[in-house]
Amino acid sequence: MTKVLLTDVDGKVLSVVKGPTGPEHRRLANEVMQRALEQANLQLDLVSYVVATGYGRLNVPFADRRITELTCHARGVYSLFPHVKTAIDIGGQDAKCMKVSHGRVVNFAMNDKCAAGTGRFLEVIAVALGVKVEDMGDISLRSRKKVHVSNLCTVFARQEVVARLSEGEKLEDIVAGLHDAVASRVVGLARTLRIEPDVVLTGGVAKNNGIVRAMQEHLRCEVLVPEDPLITGALGAAILAKDLWQESVARGERAPTELRRLKKATFFT
Amino acid sequence: MPNDSRGLAKAKQVYQERSRRARQLRAEGSRVIGYPCVYVPVEMLSALGLVPYRTYGDIREPVTEADRALPTSFCPFMRSCFDCALKAKDDFLDGMVVAHSCDPQEKTARLWESYVGYPYFHFMDVPGTVRPEAVEYFGGQLSDLKATLEAFTGQELTVERLRSAIQFHNEQRALVKELYELTKPAPPLVSGTEMLQVVKALMSLPVAEGNDLLKEVIGEVQGRTTGGPELKPVRLLVWSSTLDDVAIMEILESGANVVMDEGCGGMRAYRGEVKLTDEPMDGLARHYMDDITCARTFRQGADGETTKEYSQDLEKRFGYLKDVVEEWSINAAILLLVRYCDPFAFEVPSLRDYFDAVGIPSIYIEYDYAEGALAPLRTRVEAFFETIG
Amino acid sequence: MYPLRAKVNESYLKSVEAMRAGKPTVWAMLNWYYGDPILKAMDLEVVYPENYGAALAATGFAQPYLEYADADGFPTHLCGYSRATLGYTSKMMRELGGEIPAEAPLGGMPKPIFLMASSAVCDARYKWFQALGRYMDVPVWTLESPMPGVKELFLEGARERMVELGVRHLEHFVAFVERITGRKMDWDRLEETVDLMIEVNRVWHEVNELRKARPCPMHSRDFWSAMPAALFMMGDLRDSLRCFQDMYAEVKARVDNGVGAIADEKYRLVFAELPPWHSLGFFDRLAERGWNFVVESFGYRPPIPLDLSGVGNTLERITRFGLQTFVGYYEDARDEHVPAGALAYPYLKYAGEWKCDGALLHPLISCRSASTHLPYVASLLRERLKVPSLIMEGDIVDLRLFDPEDALARAEPFEESMQHYRGVRRQEGLDW
Repeated sequence: MTKVLLTDVDGKVLSVVKGPTGPEHRRLANEVMQRALEQANLQLDLVSYVVATGYGRLNVPFADRRITELTCHARGVYSLFPHVKTAIDIGGQDAKCMKVSHGRVVNFAMNDKCAAGTGRFLEVIAVALGVKVEDMGDISLRSRKKVHVSNLCTVFARQEVVARLSEGEKLEDIVAGLHDAVASRVVGLARTLRIEPDVVLTGGVAKNNGIVRAMQEHLRCEVLVPEDPLITGALGAAILAKDLWQESVARGERAPTELRRLKKATFFT
Repeated sequence: MPNDSRGLAKAKQVYQERSRRARQLRAEGSRVIGYPCVYVPVEMLSALGLVPYRTYGDIREPVTEADRALPTSFCPFMRSCFDCALKAKDDFLDGMVVAHSCDPQEKTARLWESYVGYPYFHFMDVPGTVRPEAVEYFGGQLSDLKATLEAFTGQELTVERLRSAIQFHNEQRALVKELYELTKPAPPLVSGTEMLQVVKALMSLPVAEGNDLLKEVIGEVQGRTTGGPELKPVRLLVWSSTLDDVAIMEILESGANVVMDEGCGGMRAYRGEVKLTDEPMDGLARHYMDDITCARTFRQGADGETTKEYSQDLEKRFGYLKDVVEEWSINAAILLLVRYCDPFAFEVPSLRDYFDAVGIPSIYIEYDYAEGALAPLRTRVEAFFETIG
Repeated sequence: MYPLRAKVNESYLKSVEAMRAGKPTVWAMLNWYYGDPILKAMDLEVVYPENYGAALAATGFAQPYLEYADADGFPTHLCGYSRATLGYTSKMMRELGGEIPAEAPLGGMPKPIFLMASSAVCDARYKWFQALGRYMDVPVWTLESPMPGVKELFLEGARERMVELGVRHLEHFVAFVERITGRKMDWDRLEETVDLMIEVNRVWHEVNELRKARPCPMHSRDFWSAMPAALFMMGDLRDSLRCFQDMYAEVKARVDNGVGAIADEKYRLVFAELPPWHSLGFFDRLAERGWNFVVESFGYRPPIPLDLSGVGNTLERITRFGLQTFVGYYEDARDEHVPAGALAYPYLKYAGEWKCDGALLHPLISCRSASTHLPYVASLLRERLKVPSLIMEGDIVDLRLFDPEDALARAEPFEESMQHYRGVRRQEGLDW
């Protein structure tokens, strides 16, 4: 997913746009940016500073700075939950765990190689179960027990799930087992960081209340989730952009807004 | 206009086409012997007029052939090396000397010998500890290597020839140390990327040619007014088994000056020197067991004694790094390992304890030995720099 | 054969009691007869964390300790047993001040007086003990285990240099153990222990040779049951020797009367490498299909007997016997041009001499040392002996990875494969 978030200098959010990414994400940043500008009724040359983050950050030609999503998520989550010490983001493709101190990352662990423990795990198996991913949280509410599902490999897990279904296990119990598998994987990743509350969960998967419950069980503490768990990275990037811009102004420098062009990424930028 | 045939430009050229000189020499009648590990005593190869050639894998070559005999959950570096051999990318080699340094190397050695028909192949055992009887045993392994090398070349590895070779290789060690002195200033006069190219070039050339190249490079770098690395806030030590592709180094150098590469593409092969004694083979054995700082060798603070203390043990194993940190004004360390590297992986918590005690931030980053691993590596490296920035 | 198992269990329980009573304990790696005789002769209690790891896995107690290891920053691809032990030790020392955790099954592992590591087979087996230094200030002794090249072993003086290393190393080891325990080695007792150890393994070797008969008189289950008495020297060696002698007589009688280990031997199998300890019943289910496992696992078998009568020095006898495990097959491996003389080549011998129809190979995700050779073994068996292999994955600590149902589902197609290769072998002139 590509997200753009515009704020003003006081931190008020002016617009938020989310668009699916796909293989052509290199070209997409400018289009999503265009929509965000329209939503906020702004022109590009009024934007003082742009921070790009995430895997595609190298492909945003109009960015003033590129910062990793770990730092941006931590900053964004901190602005919403000032007592956050552990931030966990479970996206479609990866999972990130960050130890946060006053909004700064002090330690982190990532899984961006293996689908197990990410949104992809749930998507793949949802297809096999014939359910919609967004319904899985509610489905698991009905569950009385968890059917064990391998957390090691999405392909194994899918096979197991099909087998359990044919053995007569209830859908809601299997879904609860899936949530447990994801949670155990993510919490295992986070353990190296010595988990401390407040624990905040973000990313598309955070919208799944079944996952949130499973995470709370594994962590044995409360897990906080923001209202829009998809935009904390972009929010943090915007906040950092503001900080960087203010620093440069304080130093008497001019940020190069007039040179910025909202053009597509090419191989030669 | 930089002259492509000298100094750093030449090192870069050699790095990019590493086997070119070896192929040339072979066409001229020399014999080239490959080795995958710095435990192999290259002095013995040089002494017999053989061209030692350090073999590596290739992160850009997808591993396809190695699956015949090696599982996927296995050191990806060795898998890649073996895969390249099966694809005859090393067809300019007349032979290989492989050491029992670590399990993957020991296991791959048997397959190398079995699947690839080198005219010459020698497997060298390396003891696990540095106890006196172990070092002596290692000396015996070297004498076995001597026997098969002599049989292969039809020449005698005399004491004089070995002494002479040792001198050349000691000179190379001294020159590399001299070059590393030039990473001490802020900014360093030479980048980690350039150092990597130089070291890999050295390991692809006969020792005398390597020494000439080093002298050119040192002269060029000392006289540098422009073209050196930019000053970065992080002065980085990289600790690895081996880091052998500039793409990786470039990622590290996007946010840091890499001033010390504690790995087999960096300083590891060049620490210490071979003491020239009456019996040069003894000096060789001592040097390789004592001076190669590879995690596979078991060293213990207060070895054989009946008490042990953790910080003393760490000092014995890692104490040399404290001096490095001080002398090179290092302010951060990355422990960079390929997946499944056991000897180094077991060290990670203890080494990080040591870096904590020394007062520098460190991080453990694991990567796949493949081109696809570069983007995830970049995210972690950049995030680390952001946490200490 | 079951008396042996009972004795092993009994001696384990006695050991646990002794440790509880404060008897000095050593944590040891499997060392293939090299260090164990010394410990036994010095009357030390020995705990094998590798075995304890298997017990943790089987009793479902591994996971919490793995989590401790994760939290302490040990990379997750490391050997599952090592991570379990590291986590266990972390908890015992840092949280409980050295007291054995209450939940630890089978009496746990008390803090040892020293750690006896081994470089044999696997790097983890000494790096892991070294890493324990983070939690316990306990000295580590790493036993050297030479692993030469196959043709290199036959260079002039090479074998003797290996023996020299072994003997001198053991001398230093004995001196160390004397210092740390404050006791003196009883050399007569050591000699007796070593003689018994050699004889026990010689009889055990003969028992396994009897399994070449058709039908095979003894099943894998009994192998696994008896093995610890020989490999780990558990229990009283004199008792063990008697049991093995009885076992030999019993198995011999079965051979003489044509009695097989299973009702109807349809297929003869070789197994490699680490068995699914918690699921040995799986072999029984295969037995119902007529699968008789007649030979198994290089790492657990007794060494090929050798004549040590001319060797007076006890430490030299230990050394030569211990080395035999690894280099015992080298001469044949050299003659047949298989450079992987330990771990891989022996399977050609096993499949050929025990006349196997197929191989069951069990790679383990977190034990690479016991898994790396398996693809190569499968290749060798197929190419040279026309024997097919069935691969079934598992793990040493995540036991759920081994799916017996899935494995059994593959048994039928594999039977077809084995039958097909019988025909191929006939054509190639092989006699089974």
